[in-house]
Amino acid sequence: MKKVLRFIGVFLFVVPLLYISVKAYGGDNQSPPTITKQEEIKISPELHKKFPMKSMHAKLSLSCVFCHEGQGNNPEEWEYVEEDACLSCHKTKKYLAERLAFMDTLKANPHNSIHDGTNLSCDECHNEHKPSINMCSECHQKEIKENIWMRKVP
Amino acid sequence: MSKEKLFILIFVSIGAFIGMVLSYGTYFGIHMTSGEKFCVSCHEMDPMVVSYKDDIHGGKGVLGASARCVDCHLPHDNLANYIYTKAKNGIAEVGIHFFGDPDAIDWQEKLKHRQSFVFDTGCLECHGNVMKNDLATTSKQALKMHKHYQELKGTEKEIGCASCHFDAGHKGMRNMLNYYKPEHSMYKEKMEEKKKEVQKKYQKYGIEVHEE
Repeated sequence: MKKVLRFIGVFLFVVPLLYISVKAYGGDNQSPPTITKQEEIKISPELHKKFPMKSMHAKLSLSCVFCHEGQGNNPEEWEYVEEDACLSCHKTKKYLAERLAFMDTLKANPHNSIHDGTNLSCDECHNEHKPSINMCSECHQKEIKENIWMRKVP
Repeated sequence: MSKEKLFILIFVSIGAFIGMVLSYGTYFGIHMTSGEKFCVSCHEMDPMVVSYKDDIHGGKGVLGASARCVDCHLPHDNLANYIYTKAKNGIAEVGIHFFGDPDAIDWQEKLKHRQSFVFDTGCLECHGNVMKNDLATTSKQALKMHKHYQELKGTEKEIGCASCHFDAGHKGMRNMLNYYKPEHSMYKEKMEEKKKEVQKKYQKYGIEVHEE
């Protein structure tokens, strides 16, 4: 009987040990290589306040230079970014239009409108550092005001 | 062979047999309950299944490879957590299906915290090389943003794969959600038409069809 107990004891000891070692080995194998941080450009709190980021971008902790790329080290001299900067994450205008394809059923898709197709510039409506505007509402006041057409422009 | 040795041998054999039956049973059970056909039977998620079937993750790619619901929507850090989360979600979904009000769920709102139901450990099971420097992409942007992801990892600002890849796995989900529950009143009639169209087209995937 003693032998049996010893056997069970050894068994209970070996199995968890095996599990742990396999897990540790697997874990080590999967850790990605560390990448050095890019040099940061100093942005004053005043400047941050003057040019606040939209909440969805702030949530991702995007840094200023992700959009203002190649505009030098002095934030005071930075300019408006080209559409390419937006589309480097937001893919293509066609893609953005397809996302709202349900609006096409009434030919009411702001990203594929009856007036401009998919050719509008992003900044006709969307702003980053100040409230966006809804260009459609310049004529179609009622639908926007009554909130039956689309969400608030992000 | 002494009696004692024989006893040990029988004891171990029976143990191994029970162990194998149990583990195979568990494996089989988990495997059978991991696809969209099982999940949709209780989960109120026709728009999700339809948009998944339209996505490369649902088998739309030329090679026909596909991920299953559980590959993204369950944690893959360790087996215990996987099974625990699976069981916990299962019980909650059965409860909502039979005793809750699934129609009242605001899916658009839920998408805002998608990070909590898409698990990076799941994404990385397949996209295992995505954080490496030698990633086979010509996209500088991908490398830049994945580096950003790694820098935030472990900090309080941590983001998930789904934070940016918001529609991965479900192509055109916002459209499908609108077909089933219009965001804005103007589209109500049109969405009803679209919904019927979709239900007919995807019926074979276990989508519910409402006949009039």
